[in-house]
Amino acid sequence: MDNNPQSHARRTFLKSAVVATLGAALPAGVAQASSFSASSLQLWSCGGLAEAFIPANDLYEKNNGVKIRYTGAFAAALGKSLLGSATTEIFGGRVLDLAKKLRSTGKMLYFKPLCFTSYVMITPPGNPAGIEKIADMAKPGVRVVLAPEASPPGGQAVQNLLKKAGILHPVTKNCVSAGSCVQRTMDDIVSGRGDVSIVELRLTRMAAFSGKTTILAIPEEFFPPPPLTFTIGVMKDAKDRRLADHYLQFITSEEGQSFFAAAGFIPAISDKGKELIERLGVKDA
Amino acid sequence: MPDCQPCTLQTQTLLVQTGAAVRLKVKRRLSQLFMLAVLGQWAFYGIFRCPFLVPYVSCQNCPVITCHGRIVSMFWGFWLLIPLSVVFFGRAFCGWACPGGLINQMLGMIAPCKLRVRNFFTRLAPSGKYLGLALAFAAYYLLGQPRADVPIRIGEFFQSVLLTFEHASMNWLIRTFLVIALVVLGLLAANFWCRFACPTGGLLELVKRITLFKFYKTSACNDCNQCLAVCEMGTRPDEKNCTNCGDCQGICPSNAIIFGHKK
Repeated sequence: MDNNPQSHARRTFLKSAVVATLGAALPAGVAQASSFSASSLQLWSCGGLAEAFIPANDLYEKNNGVKIRYTGAFAAALGKSLLGSATTEIFGGRVLDLAKKLRSTGKMLYFKPLCFTSYVMITPPGNPAGIEKIADMAKPGVRVVLAPEASPPGGQAVQNLLKKAGILHPVTKNCVSAGSCVQRTMDDIVSGRGDVSIVELRLTRMAAFSGKTTILAIPEEFFPPPPLTFTIGVMKDAKDRRLADHYLQFITSEEGQSFFAAAGFIPAISDKGKELIERLGVKDA
Repeated sequence: MPDCQPCTLQTQTLLVQTGAAVRLKVKRRLSQLFMLAVLGQWAFYGIFRCPFLVPYVSCQNCPVITCHGRIVSMFWGFWLLIPLSVVFFGRAFCGWACPGGLINQMLGMIAPCKLRVRNFFTRLAPSGKYLGLALAFAAYYLLGQPRADVPIRIGEFFQSVLLTFEHASMNWLIRTFLVIALVVLGLLAANFWCRFACPTGGLLELVKRITLFKFYKTSACNDCNQCLAVCEMGTRPDEKNCTNCGDCQGICPSNAIIFGHKK
């Protein structure tokens, strides 16, 4: 074996020259992909983020020539699997405590704030019941649609929000539909089977429901804190750490974050996001 | 080897009929393969990844983004095609289009028990489809079609199936294992699912009497049951479980099976 540093330097120079020449000749994505040792990256995220991740991943694949193998599902279920024997390379989960648990067990190397969700009241187009504020949901005769049996945060979070607003009992009495699926809640409101519901803003941005409801703000003081936060982290099973870091850099950049804003989330890099990071303590200690 | 005797007219007719039956079967298999390409993924999702207890009927508000059912139900008006097919051709969907039907027929080829006889069991067991249909209606109307599983909104094929099973409720697991068990029974008794358990088949069976065109037996039928011996569904034309597949066409020595509008 040749241990001459001069020969080594020459080989390095020649390698670099070949790579640079190939890089110039190849399309951007292919060239970028050649700089990573892995050709794909496995990403798991909370299902609520799917509408943002799908186009973001498409762009990343196009720019970098790396295949993103994406699974989006209920974060607590995925988290449970990851705390067991399941593995992934990047995890974008809901609820700060889950990220912290994955960090403390050594399954996750580090995480960053990704985005935040918010809750709104929705009514059928034109707001026929004349709902103005959250207290109006408790008025007799108002037909409320809820999904208490829906997987978190659809069910329990809304119950907690109503509890914080001090109207859980009368609103429950007004409930004409108590389902197990937040998307059916949207259907009930769009079709006029109910007068008002509380959902995450992201649902109103879905293609099936966009522009089909009237959206009313809810004071932030009523929001239950745990489900608001989404983080994204690199897992210890990342095959190519440089690729995982690069993806995380992209998804938390202005370009990556724009997809989350479009899907109805508050990007972590926005002013509002920065405020929430401080207020909710979204720090990887 | 002795020379062949000149064919009689009856033998020639039978040969022509058999040729027609083979051609029809080839067309049917091609139709099934085409529909497998169109509906196969949806069928797979319905069994393994649909978060609702009754699959294929809540696609418009299903959170599983990658399921074809959303596209099919919302944009193609697919569900209108099945009632239309019943009006014209009875249970032809089962024999000509259903991906599950094709899989069951393939399993049936290696099943040791073809059950192509007429006895107490083969007369009674097809009623199992109505029990399946009743259970589906009960899950939809009485239980309110609950979401019984964590939906894997988007995900890699096999990993998503594993995650689905890992996080499913007991109701979902019972439903899914029951369906799988009944399909696997098709390795033992030919077409077990389609003949004795399928709720969709049960529904189509109930309304197929309105059909305009079908295979049926004329008064020339002498009950020789040669049609029964070749039928994958173990039945005879225009009887319980007949899917208008046409496999019996040309098999009848009395030429008693015809296709058309039965007066």
